[in-house]
Amino acid sequence: MSHHLMSRRRLLATGGGLSLAALLAACSDDSPKSQATGGAQSAGALALSLLLPGDVPAGWDAVLAEVNKKLQADLGFTIKPQFIPWTSYGQQALLKFTAGEKFDTALQARWLNMTQLAASGSIVELSSLLSSGKYPNLTATIDPKIIELNRWSGKLYGLPQINSVARFHHFSIRQDLADKLGMSDITDFAGLEKFWYDVKQKNKDIIPIGVSSRMPKLLVAWNPVGWLNPYMWDNPTMSIASFTGDSLNFVLAADGKQTGSSNPIPWWEAPGMVDALRKIRKYYQDGLINKNALTLDSKALDSQFKAGRVATGWAMTDGLSSTGLPELTKNVPGAMIANVMPLKGGESAKPYQTFQSDNFVVLNAKGESNEKAMQLQDWVSIKENHDLLNYGLPGKDWNPVGDDKYEQLSTYAFPGFALSWRAKLERRVKGMTESEAKWFDWAQDIDNFTVDPYAGFVPDPEPIKRENTQVTAAMTQFANPLFIGAVDVDQGLDKLKKALERAGLAKVQAEMAKQADAYLKGQ
Amino acid sequence: MSTLQTRPEPQTRPPSGAPDRRRVRRRAVRTNWTIGLLALPAVVFFLVFSYLPMSGLVVAFKEFDVNLGIFGSPWNGLENFTYFLESGDAARILFNTLFLNILFLGATLAAGMVLAIMLNEIRSTFFKRVSQSVVFFPYFVSPVVISIILQVLLAGASGGGGAVNDALGGLGFPAVDWYTEPGPWPWILTVVKIWQLGGYLSVIFLAAITGIPEEVYEAGTIDGASRAQMAWRITLPLLKPTAAVLLVLGVGRIFYGDFGTIYAIVGDNGTLFDSTDVIDTYVFRALRQLGDFGTTAAIGLFQSVVGFVLVVIAVLIQRKYSKETSVL
Repeated sequence: MSHHLMSRRRLLATGGGLSLAALLAACSDDSPKSQATGGAQSAGALALSLLLPGDVPAGWDAVLAEVNKKLQADLGFTIKPQFIPWTSYGQQALLKFTAGEKFDTALQARWLNMTQLAASGSIVELSSLLSSGKYPNLTATIDPKIIELNRWSGKLYGLPQINSVARFHHFSIRQDLADKLGMSDITDFAGLEKFWYDVKQKNKDIIPIGVSSRMPKLLVAWNPVGWLNPYMWDNPTMSIASFTGDSLNFVLAADGKQTGSSNPIPWWEAPGMVDALRKIRKYYQDGLINKNALTLDSKALDSQFKAGRVATGWAMTDGLSSTGLPELTKNVPGAMIANVMPLKGGESAKPYQTFQSDNFVVLNAKGESNEKAMQLQDWVSIKENHDLLNYGLPGKDWNPVGDDKYEQLSTYAFPGFALSWRAKLERRVKGMTESEAKWFDWAQDIDNFTVDPYAGFVPDPEPIKRENTQVTAAMTQFANPLFIGAVDVDQGLDKLKKALERAGLAKVQAEMAKQADAYLKGQ
Repeated sequence: MSTLQTRPEPQTRPPSGAPDRRRVRRRAVRTNWTIGLLALPAVVFFLVFSYLPMSGLVVAFKEFDVNLGIFGSPWNGLENFTYFLESGDAARILFNTLFLNILFLGATLAAGMVLAIMLNEIRSTFFKRVSQSVVFFPYFVSPVVISIILQVLLAGASGGGGAVNDALGGLGFPAVDWYTEPGPWPWILTVVKIWQLGGYLSVIFLAAITGIPEEVYEAGTIDGASRAQMAWRITLPLLKPTAAVLLVLGVGRIFYGDFGTIYAIVGDNGTLFDSTDVIDTYVFRALRQLGDFGTTAAIGLFQSVVGFVLVVIAVLIQRKYSKETSVL
């Protein structure tokens, strides 16, 4: 009996001990600890992690292998970028910062969470690194004027990534459809509207205006113009500011410089805004806007455009609209696109422009090595490396055409604006449409714009952090559906105002006035 | 799932007093320490993965700053809780969470029972097996896939039309913009949940039906009961204990919105928040959009505490009404 008991005990003990050992082994972390910055790095061990937006480019593995081979030889480290889908990029990047992850660089911007990250000390102030003289290629390819324009209260929180002097969003339309409808040259908003209604009538299967889940906030009250706001296209001289990218936009007084008072008002109180809401509501009800705009991923919208199922897409003065043309013509033979900028007065409209970069590479304060992150920025400022990353493998993904153009051979598309845009090194795609080239050139000339009186004003969200949080939540819930026309304008606006009042609109508005007035005083 | 235990018979007491009882206890400890050892890995597991992380709950009472860390951040009392309660969203979210979960719980349990009784009535073994597998299958379908199926049904692949609207059109009804109408969503989600869980629960009930002694049915036959009467008068009452246990387990999770399904379907579509926003989706959104750890931890803690209280109440009620099947 006792013998039998012993054996049972032993069995249980052994079993328990074994499973405990297994459990502890599973919990133990035997991964090699990354060493602290500045310490002696074991050669070849360091791989900088970078956050990039969008999907992994086609043929990425081969390009990355080549990039890492060269990087290892030149600088002794490699990179391992993480691609985060656009739908969640802003939020995931913010979360990775606030959770103290140790990646090195990320795409940030005012329309994302850069003001918040700068205020909380999550991103590195770059002035001393940039002026250290250790990064000659970088300083040679980024214009010092652009650096100065992108300092916030004298501090530089990111490296501006630009390929044109000014950024102005507009429309990329299916020119072949417009030609068929007898509208060969659309130059104003009324022309666009007619085009949309005609498309709706003649092509049942094509969505006239494609809107993705990233776009609602751009449609009505946005800097420099609301995308679907005809009043702003006619009067592109409104100064708009918000504490964070998804928070409430205020319109600032145009005569602030003279009076010293910025007098910020919530966007709906500014002229033309509510009319724009009503117009968009009508578009939505008439079926011009895709009904799933609040949930449609931007990548999915892009592939629908390339499949020929969308007549109008969002475009930017960055020369990238034409890069989708080969895929579109493959799916829809004879398709053609044109860029439409419906400014009243066209190229001589002189709209407001802050000359603030839309995209920055920021360095994570908790990154493995800020020095190496800067070395990487310097490395991609060398033409050969820049081309490799931006356009892919020469001969496989692209062929050079002269020194400043390239021909696409594959569908490789790298988000260069998140790591490696250098105005002086950018090549234009061969076969850029005439209309896109026209507006891209127009955006290169500073004299085509009026400097926004609040150009360098970057609000600091820290004093009203809590209220701003609530305001942002209210915007997501009530303003986005309003912006795409999914709800009744009067009811929707009423709900939005009530929610914002509860969230502390008065306090946020007062803080905006205080900071904007201080900015005016400092001018 | 916890196993069901019938309560042990009360032990006959040893005739004399204390020393004997001590001896008994000592012997129990001596003979049972090996069994205790066997439980050790599980105890360690829960300590490491469930209890240790609870120290992070202090974040709920702090103004969290990543640069200072969890324990270095300054305390801010109950501010994180007041933020949630004053946001104006609290009442709506609590209501939605409870309302949707009660709907889900009632509908899935009822559907599971009905399905089980139906399956039980199938004569052909082969057909019974096939049907069981077919109704069980949706349980394995990912919420993301469900959300895409729903989109195609309700809004079409490109955000216009959809099979349901086509059907409505065929019947002469106007099309509905399902994805901007909050009203019907609790019911749509309930249908989704029944589709998801009905088959799964029916298998549990079937197992319980299998456990019903054959003699009871034989007695029913002798008394001249029809098949329908036997299902109604014998099977259904004998399934009650199983249903009660499933109900208690469900009530314990009543404060947990079904995050996966609801988030995959609704996402950040603000027009549907009125009727579909539950605690989990709200917390997730708050954290993603605002990166505010303090508030989200506070809401999470609130959810856990209320959930715990509800479980206890549910179990006590169940014990009162049906002692022999109590889980405690």
